[in-house]
Amino acid sequence: MDFDDTAAEAAWRAEVRAFLEQHREELGARRDGKAAAQARQATLYDAGFVGVTWPVEAGGRGGTPMQQAIIDQETARLGLPALVNLIGIGMCGPTVIAHGSDDQKGRYLKRLLRADDVWCQLFSEPAAGSDLAGLRTRAVRDGDDWRVDGQKVWTTSAQLADYGILLTRTDPDVPKHRGLTMFVVDMHAPGVTVRPLRQMSGGADFNEVFFDDVVIPDTERLGAAGDGWRVALTTLMSERLSLGGGGTGIGPGIEAVARHVAEHLDALPPDRQVLARQDLGRAYVAALGSRYTGYRQLSKLSRGEFPGPEASAGKLAGTRTARDLADLAVRVLGDDARVATTRDGDGFWQELQAGLPGMAIAGGTDQVLRNIIGERVLGLPAEPRADKGVTFRESIAATERTGA
Amino acid sequence: MNFDLDQEHLDLAAAARDFLSASASPAAARKALEGGTGVRPGRAELVKSGFATITVPEREGGGGGTVLDLAVVAEQAGRLLAGPSLVSFARAAVLLDGDTRLAGLAAGEVSVAIVDDSGPVLDAVGADTFLAPRDGALVCGPGTVTAREPIDPTRGLGDVALGETTVLVPDAAELWRRGERVGRTILAAEGLGAASRVLELGVEYAKQRHAFGRAIGSYQAVKHMLVDVYVEVEQLRSLVWWAAWAADHAPGELPLAAAAAKAAAATTLEHAAETVVQVHGGIGFTWEHDAHLYWRRSKVDRFLLGDDVAAYDEVARLAVAR
Repeated sequence: MDFDDTAAEAAWRAEVRAFLEQHREELGARRDGKAAAQARQATLYDAGFVGVTWPVEAGGRGGTPMQQAIIDQETARLGLPALVNLIGIGMCGPTVIAHGSDDQKGRYLKRLLRADDVWCQLFSEPAAGSDLAGLRTRAVRDGDDWRVDGQKVWTTSAQLADYGILLTRTDPDVPKHRGLTMFVVDMHAPGVTVRPLRQMSGGADFNEVFFDDVVIPDTERLGAAGDGWRVALTTLMSERLSLGGGGTGIGPGIEAVARHVAEHLDALPPDRQVLARQDLGRAYVAALGSRYTGYRQLSKLSRGEFPGPEASAGKLAGTRTARDLADLAVRVLGDDARVATTRDGDGFWQELQAGLPGMAIAGGTDQVLRNIIGERVLGLPAEPRADKGVTFRESIAATERTGA
Repeated sequence: MNFDLDQEHLDLAAAARDFLSASASPAAARKALEGGTGVRPGRAELVKSGFATITVPEREGGGGGTVLDLAVVAEQAGRLLAGPSLVSFARAAVLLDGDTRLAGLAAGEVSVAIVDDSGPVLDAVGADTFLAPRDGALVCGPGTVTAREPIDPTRGLGDVALGETTVLVPDAAELWRRGERVGRTILAAEGLGAASRVLELGVEYAKQRHAFGRAIGSYQAVKHMLVDVYVEVEQLRSLVWWAAWAADHAPGELPLAAAAAKAAAATTLEHAAETVVQVHGGIGFTWEHDAHLYWRRSKVDRFLLGDDVAAYDEVARLAVAR
């Protein structure tokens, strides 16, 4: 048992670190705007540090998940902003690699890694969130094209995106998982409308996307017609692989919270100090538990194994801990905790607190994650499904009859 | 990064499970609770097996192994509610380093308990040699034990009236703290074993038991309770390994790691045991079911080597001082 890099990992880390530190100013510049974000990613790609796990022919380096984990660690260490095409790299690209034509791969993949094009993932809908396979956006065959009508929602980065992977219903007369088809959609095509949604935190990272008779050539289909669920599973599995670190990347770092509490502790009445230390102790232990559980997953990656469904525990626990840490951090502000910024004009912790409830929903709700762990790790039986064995059209009709 | 048990540890765990399961079990713990027997496998067998003295140097007749080795065994001991605790052996091995009594411990001639305070002492029942702190020194002597009415009989708690003591180490504050931290690590390892075993009982039952036409484990209300315990148990496993690794290789990390493991073990075992009683419904709070034996273990262990509140406080103090 050890926490050390292998010789190869250490050499890679040194290479990554040297580059990041040398270009720290350029990569850390938090200038807004798509072009600035694209330039940051292009700099990293041209140096060979984006998409290392992707095959060489797809524009990657054929590297290991451990190499990617080291890049993530070093990026986090310097507090550098996330890549603009994180979703493209983690989800859209791997789906194109697995199911796209040679022509699509040639046109899309390298440009995606360089952020020449920004990508988004068009899955969730107003009536299909956790129950993704219940989606209703229709694609109807029209000669060599498909015509798409419907609405997607909670689409992160759609306001920046040039392309998206789009999951549609192409056959409502088969059970819901079987009538789906995946496409690459040009986000600048006529009939695509993106409307930013404002989150409870005030930020606007995600969007509604409307499709009004949007034409997609059949050559932009990913996988066979009707095989969209299997294609979507590729996307979702890639998402799991791209989320390392045991959930410790969610919310504030524990060291930062501890420093913040240390600064405010003496100003609290003695009984409040005792309570604050209990809260900090509990959240800190939970965060350490997540961190070292993440190291167990990294050890698997280092051995060349892949994380299984148990990796879902990292997000579940990390979200809870992040909320507890943020709650404590706000609480020790004292009277200033009642307002959005302190007398010194600092609103960091209040803003963070408003962003965390969403973390328990985005990327798999706590409840869905518990189902995954319960069923696939503990082997507990699934809940019976009311829409099993009926066509999508019938299940919709049944829902409408019961008024649900 | 290789933060995982290797094949040697897995083999050690299997061997420990084979040995311990021949005599220790929840049934044996229940019998002890009814006053029928002492704890199993008991001090003599535990020492004879060599598992209890893994961390005693080979020259003293021990196994010359690591704290992690002992933690791997302690997890198995916890699963079976074995007694006496490996915590007492782990601490004795630290405190008696360089003392002739250590060879006596490994030979089964000396039975040691550690006296932290005036309260009931872990594994006092059956002990003949007591180690205690006094004015910064480590003292050793005989004592008179008065067994107390047990919540968990496998913990052998009794009041100790120390007889005439001799000073073993005059300036022992640091040594004493290391013994406590290694002890907390092993206590957490026993808690890990108990928590993961009681979780297994709950999961098995949730698959078998049917209500309203289906297995109760299919209901999210039941499933999610068990998942929350699973997540905590796996985090505890990570913290126990880290603390044991720190005890062996990174003394600077041990204070935080041991306090975190101790705190997590207290919280997790209690949560696991109470959840599994609930999952079982009526049978879960009967005397004949095993769930309450793990519940008893949780209700006692959380107050050993400082309570959970003290451990969380220590974590916080270390965190803000970093």
